[in-house]
Amino acid sequence: MKLLGLNPIATPVKHPTVQPRYSIHSAVVNSVLRRLTAGFVVALIWCAARAGDLTVFAAASLSDALKEIAVIYEKQSGDRVVFNFGASSVLARQIEEGAPADIFFSADEAKMDGLEKLGLILKETRRSRLSNSLVIVVAADSPLQVPSAHDLAGDKVKRIALADPKAVPAGVYARAYLEKARLWPAVERKIVPTENVRAALAAVESGNVDAGIVYKTDARISRKVRVTCEVKPEEGPPISYPMAVVKESSRIEAGKRFVRHLDSGEAGRVFEKYGFIVRKQR
Amino acid sequence: MKLLLQRICLPLKEFTLEVDVEIQSQVTAIFGPSGAGKTSLLDLVAGLRSPKCALIQLNDRVLTNTARGLNVSARSREIGYVPQDLALFPHLSVRGNLLFGYKAASNSLFRFEHVIDVMEIQPLLSRGVTALSGGEKQRVALARALLTAPRLVLLDEPLASLDLKLKAKIIPYLCRVRDEFHLPMLYVTHDPAEAAVLCDEVLVMEHGRFVRQGKAEGIFADFSATLAADGHSRRVERLKLGEKPQFSDDLR
Amino acid sequence: MMSAEDWQIVWFTAWVSALSTLVILPFGLAAGLLLARRDWPSKSGVETILSLPLVMPPVATGLILLKLLGRRGALGGFLHDTLHLDIVFTWLAVLVSLSVMSFPLLVRSVRVAFEEVNPRLEQIARTLGASDLRVFWAITMPLAARGIIAGMILAFARALGEFGATIMVAGNIPGQTSTLSLAIFQSVQLGQDSHAFRLLAVSVVLAFAAVWASEYLARRKRAPL
Repeated sequence: MKLLGLNPIATPVKHPTVQPRYSIHSAVVNSVLRRLTAGFVVALIWCAARAGDLTVFAAASLSDALKEIAVIYEKQSGDRVVFNFGASSVLARQIEEGAPADIFFSADEAKMDGLEKLGLILKETRRSRLSNSLVIVVAADSPLQVPSAHDLAGDKVKRIALADPKAVPAGVYARAYLEKARLWPAVERKIVPTENVRAALAAVESGNVDAGIVYKTDARISRKVRVTCEVKPEEGPPISYPMAVVKESSRIEAGKRFVRHLDSGEAGRVFEKYGFIVRKQR
Repeated sequence: MKLLLQRICLPLKEFTLEVDVEIQSQVTAIFGPSGAGKTSLLDLVAGLRSPKCALIQLNDRVLTNTARGLNVSARSREIGYVPQDLALFPHLSVRGNLLFGYKAASNSLFRFEHVIDVMEIQPLLSRGVTALSGGEKQRVALARALLTAPRLVLLDEPLASLDLKLKAKIIPYLCRVRDEFHLPMLYVTHDPAEAAVLCDEVLVMEHGRFVRQGKAEGIFADFSATLAADGHSRRVERLKLGEKPQFSDDLR
Repeated sequence: MMSAEDWQIVWFTAWVSALSTLVILPFGLAAGLLLARRDWPSKSGVETILSLPLVMPPVATGLILLKLLGRRGALGGFLHDTLHLDIVFTWLAVLVSLSVMSFPLLVRSVRVAFEEVNPRLEQIARTLGASDLRVFWAITMPLAARGIIAGMILAFARALGEFGATIMVAGNIPGQTSTLSLAIFQSVQLGQDSHAFRLLAVSVVLAFAAVWASEYLARRKRAPL
């Protein structure tokens, strides 16, 4: 594996036939020196490996797509990518507090705007290509029919899981949609807020809530939920996933490389495979 | 009265309590060293412990018969118990303690006013129990047991913790219990003088068995200055040899 | 300063905690009495199980409760199908998690309180003609009362501060299951630090009041004697 242009150095091997004859004392000194060199090199390799780690803070809904993209990228570039998935609101907060992120991949523009205002991201690296759509889901074995969002206000639906509509992008989008459809007052008290969109999905899977609003991409990876209704892009709020390199990063060049890769056609095909909408140029 | 303690068998820590005796005197002393099983026997009679086997009968009422699986509960035995530590209820006043088991509609002999009169505890009624002196606590505990109108009273070393002066003060009250209430008593003690003053009959217990039974005068017949001196010198000899004084040093 | 929602959260936390303490009291008394007075072969096993919520990570306990009480769970499924009663994500779930988490503390205090009552007093009460029930109410309980009340206050304080199990099984639904601890956590998550500190101040005051009350009661109990 190539790192920083260096080739891995193997530990020197002893060749008895070539070895000149040394005194005992020198032999000991030499063996110690050889061990030290080997140790030093191992340490170098280790540091180099660590230095190649890229830490990406990304929205929970991107988990599966990003992991697949990273596997390919690591083989191609030699950089190792490490992820921290969660609610974009929580991740943004962590970056504000100084968490060691190199790249931030948020599920809405608002969180990125917040960080940009604080001067915590490199503006020129900011890209927004990805979009998603919302769906209403129920448990796979549930007899409930929810052909449209209006049915959420009905009596059969008692509890609806959303990512926390106060802050998590998936929940914020869902609330915006429900407010636009003038359904929010009727369903507000049925909402069970969860930590992030994947937790909302899990709540629906467990059967403890009647329905949930998650991303289309989340519903696709789960076999335990059934999509009953898809929110058309024009009905719902505009969904956008911006990404950018974090200013305080210690691997800015590596970060920029990965962002360029994520913006490329190759990554775009993976995103589309998972159900994301990839905009051509923004 | 007649108290039958037949084929009693109760395994204890170091030995087995085995008793087979019929008690007919009014006041009977159970005399013996500490650890002989006296308290366990009283607990059995009161119904606070269950024996391995026993037949216990008070007058014409069978209280325990293990052969028939009969064991009357302590609350129904009508037996008063004054334990060694008195067990006065610290959260109740003297009056509260006295009235705890009081049966108002009973025999005039055990009327509240009469009992507290005999025991002379009238001025103590509203006091808290922990503020009483040793002698006062004794009288209250005794009165509390009497107020349940028992048919038999068990006393476990009632004067053990009192000094000679106080003992002399309390003994008249015990005599009153015997004379005014005509109550049979089982009286555990290790003081021969108490036994001699109060009791008609003495049972000597050692290691869970009765080894002597008879009239107080007979048992302590030679309880004179000589015997006291002999007993005393025997005890002193043992102490010199580093041995524990034996109970039997005091007996002839 | 404090909004109406905030006061609702404080009030909710206080009354659900108090209710949970009352709910576990009879069970705590029974368990404490059994452990103090009786011996049986599996006793140490029972003691261990009763202590588990104290030692396990609260979220782990919460997970177990979630699996048990959810609509697909052994107990929750039954309640949902036959009684149309849902527990998870309602205030009942808060009640259950607070009760489960504070129960071991109550049992411990109650057990010690009963152990400190001299059994001889109970025995003598029996010779004075008292039934077992009367012995319990007239002798055992009054003498153990101080320790029992201290245990109740401890359980109440634990319930006030409970978080891990509650968030698993009740979620943090505004106006329905939001307790003081959950609200503080959420405020921190949302970056609303000053709001979090206001709620924090209230929880400190509540905890202080609980401990002060227990000390006062302890002092008063000593007086009559």
